[in-house]
Amino acid sequence: MRKLFVVVSALSLASFALQFVFAAVGAFTKPADDGAYALHSVNGMAVIPVLTLLTVLFAALAKAPGRLVGLAALPLGLVVVQALLAALADGSTDAAGASTPFGLTIAGLHAVNGIVAVHVVVNVLRGARQLSRPEQAATTPVPVREGEPA
Amino acid sequence: MSTGSLLAADLVIAVLAAAAWLGGGAASAARRRPLARGLAAVALLATLARAVTIAALARAGWWFAAEKVLIAAPLSLAAVAVAGPRLLRAPADIRSVAVPLLFAGYADSGALLVTVLHGYPASAGAGLLAVAGVVGATAVSWRLLGAPPSRTVSRAAVAVAVAALLTGTGLAAAPAAAPGVPHEHGPGDARTAGEPTRRVTLTAGTATVRVSGRDVAAWAFDGQVPGPELTATVGDVLEVKLRNRDIARGVTLHWHGYDVPNSQDGVPGVTQAAVLPGQEFVYRFRADQAGTYWYHTHAVSDVGVRMGLYGVLVVRPGPVTGVDVTVPVHTLAGLPLPAARTEPVAAGTPVRLRLVNTDSTTHRYALAGTPFRVAAIDGSDLHGPTPLVDTAVLIPAGGRYDLVFTAPATPVALFVDGRAAHSTGPVSTATGGWPVLDPLTYGAGSPVPWSRFDREFTLVLDRGLDLHGLLPRYAHTVNGAADPDIPPQVVRLGDIVKFTIVNRSQTVHPWHLHGHHVLVLSRNGQPATGSRLWLDSFDVRPGDVWEVAFQADNPGMWANHCHNLKHADAGMTLHLMYLGQRNR
Repeated sequence: MRKLFVVVSALSLASFALQFVFAAVGAFTKPADDGAYALHSVNGMAVIPVLTLLTVLFAALAKAPGRLVGLAALPLGLVVVQALLAALADGSTDAAGASTPFGLTIAGLHAVNGIVAVHVVVNVLRGARQLSRPEQAATTPVPVREGEPA
Repeated sequence: MSTGSLLAADLVIAVLAAAAWLGGGAASAARRRPLARGLAAVALLATLARAVTIAALARAGWWFAAEKVLIAAPLSLAAVAVAGPRLLRAPADIRSVAVPLLFAGYADSGALLVTVLHGYPASAGAGLLAVAGVVGATAVSWRLLGAPPSRTVSRAAVAVAVAALLTGTGLAAAPAAAPGVPHEHGPGDARTAGEPTRRVTLTAGTATVRVSGRDVAAWAFDGQVPGPELTATVGDVLEVKLRNRDIARGVTLHWHGYDVPNSQDGVPGVTQAAVLPGQEFVYRFRADQAGTYWYHTHAVSDVGVRMGLYGVLVVRPGPVTGVDVTVPVHTLAGLPLPAARTEPVAAGTPVRLRLVNTDSTTHRYALAGTPFRVAAIDGSDLHGPTPLVDTAVLIPAGGRYDLVFTAPATPVALFVDGRAAHSTGPVSTATGGWPVLDPLTYGAGSPVPWSRFDREFTLVLDRGLDLHGLLPRYAHTVNGAADPDIPPQVVRLGDIVKFTIVNRSQTVHPWHLHGHHVLVLSRNGQPATGSRLWLDSFDVRPGDVWEVAFQADNPGMWANHCHNLKHADAGMTLHLMYLGQRNR
């Protein structure tokens, strides 16, 4: 299970990395119509959520500490926020459909939130790898810094 | 603050509240006491702010607030009731409030998902599924955080979650009232229009056209984008033979804004079959409605129109006097059409600019260098239009405005979204800051011709999860359903019909009813005071509520849809049908 946890969180990280690639594909596709971001949308709305759910599932099955499970679940919330930011940025146009400074600010947050999400997934993968190391797992299964002891 | 901004603000605050509760829960699980309390305080503030936005939305209209009052408010109150007191009791170990804080976060997230995935109409099914999710997630958190409650409590939680899940799924999956309306459209008869006086053949095919110095792959009528301009004079009988050379997905001709008999309306699967490669179809109708219209394919309309299968139809009351120019604006492969033109006009000549928006989004048109009047909108003449100076007009997707002026000795230019599209000479005027004409207050008003309405329909436009197809999709919905699951609107010949169109979503929906022009009664509660506006395409902006009415005088089965054709494809299409009438 711990091995699977590592594999799934690595796949999840790969899908997040691809998401940036697909964003670039969308940005540089000519002519620039809405279809340019199809890969980005499908990956973001389907592949990433599914892989994130699997990561949470395997984290729980691998008996990872609660903090790591929580960390694995965090991208779900960030993905919802990400979709909402995209929708708000798209919606915040003036009457003729041109972008507004407010809309572009929201669009910027879409990128910031994406970077935060990748950071989280990197930490999940790191935690999963520590958990899967037999010598460490036996003694200290805690992958990330804990607060004062319970 | 407009209702549209309120909807957006409410969404942002809801996200903030959910994120702050969840963050507080995570912080307390990690024993970060100050952080946990700070985030909980933010969540409380956001919840208070949300009470304000929800109340304001309820005042703007129940459609905007229904699920927020019935589902989000109880869940948010439960969140505060569970998390608040425990925080105040200042526990020795902050970790003990982790589960209550997480519960609050799940409750707010559940409510948020209801709004985003199935907000309207507020349904018990969606509410119960949210409750099941909240209880389930809380139970899991309890176990993971190693502080499971007593056996009785956990059993009760599991029972509640399962019961809510089953009832919610049952309610959500239960078949809605079947559209049980008889379909009785017979074969169309184009021969009622009389002997044609004008015959045209349009051949649809793939083509390469040159736009702004670039070769662009297009779908075109007669190899050109836009297709040939069709003109007729009142009294003509127009016959158009449509041939399809090689558009594999089929073509039709829809006469946008021109109220033809139903059999000539060109909606595949409703009034005719799509014309496949090698086939043809003959349209025939009487040119008796003077004005500016356009034609376009209604088969795979989103792609078809975008790729170039459109053209202008102008019906003139008599011979042309002065200069009469059509400006059909389109975006082909990201490039603007038509190409900028400069044609000098002798001073004193009457000029009519027929502006057409063939795109799926609104365009802004500004006429610089002369006062002008808006003589007609959507093919219908306005009553008592006054001269306008330095004023822009916004034309919705599919809409048409006729601007008239007498050519001055100095140059005049028409700017579309800031780009000079047509001019009589060099003009350098910044038009970006001009005010925009509100057609509802323009021209001389006259009272609504009807005192009662026989049928009233409300169309609430939103987005939502549609699970009825093969693949789930995030559809554009009308009253919570997406095409083909939206029940048709049934009217009788002669009925006066009123539509109330409400936009709950974050995007503009240019509404388009086939076969009829609707009279605008009011927008956002403000009655239309200007010239009677008979429209076929009008922008319902986020948070807008439009009341329009029409007489059901054109029997048949008519498409009634959003003319952002991508939205129409993604579910925002329904039908208006006449009871007890065969179409003609």
